[in-house]
Amino acid sequence: MDKLAKRLREDADKIEVSVSDELDQRITASLRGVTPEGHAGARRERAKPLGFWWASSLTGIAAAAAVIVIINLQQAEEAPQATPTDVVAAVPVIDLQAETAALTGPLQQELENLQADIRKAEEKVKKDIGL
Amino acid sequence: MDAFTDLVRSYRERLLRFLLTRCATYADAEDALQDTLINAYRYLHSYDARWRFSTWLYRIAINNAARLQSPEVVELGELRDEESDPLLQCIGASDSENLWVTARRLLNDDVYAAMWLRYSEDMSVNDISLALDRSVSWTKVNLLRGRRALDAGMNGGSKESEAYG
Repeated sequence: MDKLAKRLREDADKIEVSVSDELDQRITASLRGVTPEGHAGARRERAKPLGFWWASSLTGIAAAAAVIVIINLQQAEEAPQATPTDVVAAVPVIDLQAETAALTGPLQQELENLQADIRKAEEKVKKDIGL
Repeated sequence: MDAFTDLVRSYRERLLRFLLTRCATYADAEDALQDTLINAYRYLHSYDARWRFSTWLYRIAINNAARLQSPEVVELGELRDEESDPLLQCIGASDSENLWVTARRLLNDDVYAAMWLRYSEDMSVNDISLALDRSVSWTKVNLLRGRRALDAGMNGGSKESEAYG
C-alpha cells in the first residue's frame, strides 16, 4: 500500500460515526413496514401464466367437447328424416310416368313413321320386280 | 426481516460514513442511510449474486444521496456552512487536514466516490465501476486522476489547478 492509499485509509477511519439508537429504531420500524416486492411479485408472475395456461387449456377442451356433443345431438335428431325411402315415397309415381310418356312419346311416333315408310318402300320394290 | 437487519448491521456505519461526505447535513445522511436500507430490503429480489453485497448497497446509497442533493444544495456547495458540515463535525477540530476533506474540495462527486470505494472500502476496479454504473476504463482513468489531484493537494496545493472534477 503506497503512502497516499495508506493516508486515505487512515483518514477515512478518523471519520467517527455511529448509528444512534434513535436511528436504529427508525430503520427497524421502517423495515417492518416494508414488504419485499420480489417474493410476492415473483410468485404472482409465476402463478399468473401457469393459471392462465391451465384456464385456456380447460376452456379449449370444454369448447371442443361442447361442439362434439351438439353435433352428435343434431345428427341423432335428423337421422329419421333423411332416409332414401322417404324421398322416393315423397315423389308421386304418376308424375314420373307422365313425364316419361311426355319425353318418349315423340320418339315412338317417329319410330312408327319410319317403320311405315320402310313397309311402303318394300311394297314398291316388290311391285317393281314383279313379285 | 430480522435476517436482513442482521445482514446489513455491519454495513450501516460504513454506509453512513460515506453518506456523510455526500450530504449537506447529518440528518440528510441518516435519511439517505434509512432509504438505502429500505430500498435494499424492498428490492432484495433484484440483487444479483454475482455482485458483492456491499457493491450493491453502495450503488443504492449513491443513488439515494444523489436524489437528496437538490439543485439548490449543489449551487450553494461553495457556501457550505462549516458548522453544519457533517464531515467536518465527525472529523473534529484536531484533524482539519483530513485528506477526504481535501478530496471533496478537489474532486467531483463521481471521482470522489470512486476514490472512497477504492481506498476506504478496498473495492476492486470492477466493483467500483458497477457501483457507479461507469465503465471500467472510466474508473481506472479517474482513479488515476483523483490520485494525481490529491498528490498535488498534499504537496502544498501548488498544482490544484490540475485537479480533476
